[in-house]
This record gives sequence, structure tokens and C-alpha cells, in this order.
Amino acid sequence: MITVPRPGRPRDEENERADGAGPAAPTRRRSRVRAFGLRTRLLAAFLLVAAVSAGTTSALTYREARNALLKTAQDMAVSTFRDQVERTGWRLPVEEEGIEEILRDLARTGKPRPWVVFAEYGSIRASSGENPVSSVITPELRRAATADRYGSFERVVKDGVPYLTIGMPTVFKTGPDSTLPTGLVLYAVMRMTDEQINVDALLVAARNGALPGLAVALVPALLAARSVLRPVRELRRAARSMGSGRLDTRIPVRGRDELADLADTFNESAGQLERSVGELRDAEARARRFASDVSHELRTPLAGMLAVTEVLDEDADRLDPDTAQAVRLVSAETGKLAVLVEDLMEISRFDARAAELNADEIDVAEAIRKTLQVRHWAGDDRIRTELPPDIRARLDPRRFDVVIANLVGNALRHGGAPVTVLLRTEASSSGTLVLVVEVADRGPGIPAAALPHIFDRFYKADAARTRSPGSGLGLAITLENVNLHDGTIRAGNLPGGGAVFTVEIPLRAEEAVR
Amino acid sequence: MRHARWRGVARRHTWWRGLATAVVATAGVPLVGGCGIQDSDVIEAGGPATVEAFLNRDADMLLFFRSPDGGLSPVIREVRPSAGFGEEYIEPGAVERAPSGPAGPAPTEKVVLALLSGPGEADRAAGLTTALPAVREKEAVKVEVSSDGGVTARLPLAVRALDATAVRQLTCTIAYNQVKDGRGVVTLRGLDGAERSGSCGLAPGTSG
Repeated sequence: MITVPRPGRPRDEENERADGAGPAAPTRRRSRVRAFGLRTRLLAAFLLVAAVSAGTTSALTYREARNALLKTAQDMAVSTFRDQVERTGWRLPVEEEGIEEILRDLARTGKPRPWVVFAEYGSIRASSGENPVSSVITPELRRAATADRYGSFERVVKDGVPYLTIGMPTVFKTGPDSTLPTGLVLYAVMRMTDEQINVDALLVAARNGALPGLAVALVPALLAARSVLRPVRELRRAARSMGSGRLDTRIPVRGRDELADLADTFNESAGQLERSVGELRDAEARARRFASDVSHELRTPLAGMLAVTEVLDEDADRLDPDTAQAVRLVSAETGKLAVLVEDLMEISRFDARAAELNADEIDVAEAIRKTLQVRHWAGDDRIRTELPPDIRARLDPRRFDVVIANLVGNALRHGGAPVTVLLRTEASSSGTLVLVVEVADRGPGIPAAALPHIFDRFYKADAARTRSPGSGLGLAITLENVNLHDGTIRAGNLPGGGAVFTVEIPLRAEEAVR
Repeated sequence: MRHARWRGVARRHTWWRGLATAVVATAGVPLVGGCGIQDSDVIEAGGPATVEAFLNRDADMLLFFRSPDGGLSPVIREVRPSAGFGEEYIEPGAVERAPSGPAGPAPTEKVVLALLSGPGEADRAAGLTTALPAVREKEAVKVEVSSDGGVTARLPLAVRALDATAVRQLTCTIAYNQVKDGRGVVTLRGLDGAERSGSCGLAPGTSG
């Protein structure tokens, strides 16, 4: 069995499907007993084979036994009747007087059962029974006896009762080697009730033999279905486990059949997949470490360069104008480079999952005001704020500061004044309170094509603007910081024009408004 | 309804069709065999039965009359009583007159006359009739046996007008009274000069 416990998420999905899926998603049904599942099909096939073999065997056996039974009875009856007839003597022409005596004698000695004997000669019709002419004897039998002069028999079912009818034409010797038909034909009619009872018993026996065979066939069918279905179930579980990220999932290989081969192949593939994914992860980690190392290595020389450029900046006024302009350019670009390196290091920490949340309970309005003050935007009339007091939350003050500064800075740079910063709390759809910060501007807004990529690294919304004052990592860092708070951020456009960024960070219940 | 559901699940259709065929085959095998005791065709079971008819070739003659179904029925009649209503015609030379040894003692001419006089009371009671016309002249019957075994009978009636049954009645009667097994060609010659010949052919293909 698979030792890995079932992961939570796929399980929930499966439940949802099982509950919610109606006829709309019939192929995704996952109930254990399916209308056309392997088990049903195997059972049906086994039962079918059993039914066919049992049915065929019973039917053939029954038929042969019945035919043998009937043949024995018929042959005995015909030969007995012939023997009896051959022991009789007749004067020609046959006289009606006394004929019934002879017929009654014949009838008494019938084998296997007494029969009714009919005689036909010329216009004489006589029998050992009540009616001189039988209603059971068919014209075909009569023709065979009179025209073809063969002793013959025929089974006739009349009103559900089977009869054996025998027609026996008679001849007499005219010499040692020659015979002549007398014109007298004798018929025997025998009810086959005993044979019918025996045949019916055979049928019941055949049926009773076939039905337990079907029941017995169920056992191997269930076993076979189990032996096939169990590995399939294991395989399904393992595949789902792999899908949910547990690449070390393996299936125990039992036996040497095709399913064992399949399990073997699955295990091999899983191993290869695990190795490939591992290599990919290593490569990605190496790349990230490289970016992190590069930015680290750049920081120290940059710090030196910054110090030098500050000194040069201060002395620029005393230099000749061309040199002064060059010095200021170098100084500005160095500053940007320093910001870029800082941002790169920050994002490297996120990628390495080394970023830590140093949460502290703070007054959110106060924190935002402080951010604006530090950036010298407090007195700026381009910025309007709506900051209700007494909203307290557990936030990392440094990271929250970065989020607000980035959003407001972005709005001032790319959007148009006035920039509005709104703070409020509201109940989210799941019922928990969330802290909402909205930063809106009155600029041209974000192009629709850029919206899905606005948080990508180094993504430039305006392709024409090649030189941006920012590092191109600001929004990416903002996103990472918000995510670190278990929050969400989304970008959109206001109906009246202008972009709006909405940050939502859940408030813990005990940390809500006091 | 069941069918409609099968159509609805198209992917399973082939599979179900195979199953249905198999089920029909399973159910069909016993049905083809049939349950219980069924009707059968007429099955031949040997030749006819040979019964004792008390035929005494030395004292009896065989006459052939028409039975109600159109066939010929042989009738055994003792010579002596029949002579009672015919006329005394037994002469010592009768045996010598039948040169083919096995022939019965009753002269064939007398037998033919008995046949021409029609069925007796017992024969009529059994529904036997004759297809021959009544004949008045009694002496006009002459039977000759040629060297090759063929028999020629001169008859006091018009042979041309006789129907097939009448001819067979005469032929068989003459043939069986000449030879025990009734083989041989009989030629009938009538007053009208017409000749018809044939053999009896009543004996079953194989004889006891």
C-alpha cells in the first residue's frame, strides 16, 4: 500500500466533485461501484461465460438425453408392435366381425405401455378403443403406410399431450420368396406421458445444474475483479499523490503480471521525474544564489562609490559646467544602481524564502502618516489621505512602510495628482475582517494589456518609457511583502480614470479594532 | 426503453452489442433444441409386417379387387366353394395344363372367370369393388403360356375400353395364379382384337 498520507486538497476537490457532479460531469465520477466499471464488466463477462457454458452444456446434455429417451421408447414400441402384428393371422378379405377382438389383444400387450390399435382395410375402420378412427394419426403417416408401404412412426403433440403414432402396413407370403400387400394397415397410438414426465425431469435437472454454476462463477469473478482493481486503485492514489507534489511516491510491486509491470514502470517514471525536478530545483536555486551573491558583491563597491559621488556632488558647483554635469549624472546613476542592488537583494531574500516577518502591533493610520512624513510627502498637496484612527493590526512596520511608499511613489510617478490613500476595514467574503488600503490616482490608468503583468519583475507598462526612475522591482517587492502578510494586492482602473491598487491584509480576530 | 439507453451511451455500444449477441446465443441454444417432447416428421422404421393370411396354394386362388382408395386388394378364395356358384370345372388334366411347375392347381381360366364374376358378399362388405364389366359368356377365356414364360389370355370382353385398374386386376390375378411371386408379362387379348400387356408389380421391392 501507499505509505504517503492522502493530501488534503485533492481530497476536498474529489468530495466536491462527488457531491456536485451530476450528469454534467459523468466521466469524472469517482464512486466505487460504477455502472460500467471494471468490476461490473469483469462480473458480467464471468457470468456471461458461465451462463454460456452452463447453458450450452445443459442444453446439449438435455437434448441428447431427451432424444435417447425418446428413441429408446420409440424403437421399443415400433419393434414390439411389429412383432405383435406379425403374430396375427387374417383372412382376406378381412371381415369386420371379430376384428375388434384381435385389436384388443394387440392393445393389451403394448410396450412400453398399452396402446390403442386401429385397423384400416378397404372401407373397414376398427379400433381397440371407442372411436374406430384416430384423430391423432396424420395424413402423412397414413400416406407412408398405405402408399409407400413402410412401417413408420411419428410423434404428434395434440392439446399438449404427446403421442407416438405407428403405422404398420401388412403383407403376406404368396411363396417362399414373395410377399403381397394385404391392404390391411394397422396403427398404434400410444400416449407418451411417462416420457414427458422423464423429459420434464431432465429439463428441471439441467436448469438446476446450470443455476448453481452461475452462482459459483461469481466467486472467481469477484476475486479476479479484486486482483485487478486493487493495483488500479493503488496506482490512482499514487498518481494523485504525485500530482500533489509528493514525488517520492512509489507503489509496491506484487507478482509478475502486467499490472506489476505497470507498477514497475510507474515507479521508474516517478523516479526519473523526481530526479528531473530535483535537478531543475537545484538549477533554479543556483541561479537565485548567483543573483543574490552578485548583488551582495556589488554592495560594497557601490557603498564606496556612493560616498565618493556625494563628495563630488557637493563640489560640482566649483567645477566647470561640463564636468559638473557629468559628475551629477554619475552621482544620480550610482544612486539608482544602489537602489537596484538593494531591491535585488530584497527580492533574492524572498526567493530564498529567507524573508522574515517581524510582526508588531501597530496603529495603521499612524504608520501610514509616518511613511508619508519620512518621504517628505506629508505636506504635499498632491496627496490626500483618509485615515480613520484606532485601526490596529499585527504588521511588520518596515515591510508595511515599503508597501505604502512603493504604491504612493508609483502613483506620483506614473499617475496624475491627486493621489488618494484610503484606509478602512471590512468583512471579507469568508467572514473575517480585513484591513484595506487603497491607493488611487487620477492619471491615465493602467492599459488593459498590462494589467496581468503589472506585478512582474522589470515589467514596464509603458514600452516607450525606456528610462524609469524606479528599479522595475518595486511592485514585485510590494507583492511579495503583502503575500508575506497573508494578504492580497490587486491593480485596477477607476471608472472615472486613474489606477487604483488595493491591498487587503486579514486581521486576526483578537487583533481587530479595539 | 432498454434499447434507447444503449444508444444513449454510444461509447459502450459495441461492448453492449457483443454482450447482447452472446446473451441471445445463450438463450437461443436451448430454444433451438426445444423443451419437452416435440412433434416429429414421419420416420420410416423398416418394411411392412408380414402376417399369416392362411394362403394355401393348392386349394386357394388369389383374386384382385379394387379397394376404396383406388389400389388393389388381394382376396383369397377357396376353389371348391367358388365352384359352387360357378360351374364344375375341375378336371384331372388341370394340373398338367399349367406347365410352369409352381403354378397353383386351380386352372387360370377358372380363376379369371371368378374374377370376372365380381366381388363376393364378404368382399363387398369390406368395401371392395371391381372395375371390370360384367361378363356373360363363360367359355371364352383361354390362357396360353408361351415358351419364354409369358402368358397370353384371351378374354370375352373389349380390352381397349378397360381402365388401368381393370387391366391391373386381370394382370395381377393371372400373374399370381400362374407364378407364386407374380412376376412375368401378361398379355390380354380381347374380343375387339386389342392387346394390352404388362406385369403386376404389386410385390414390395424386397420380399420376406
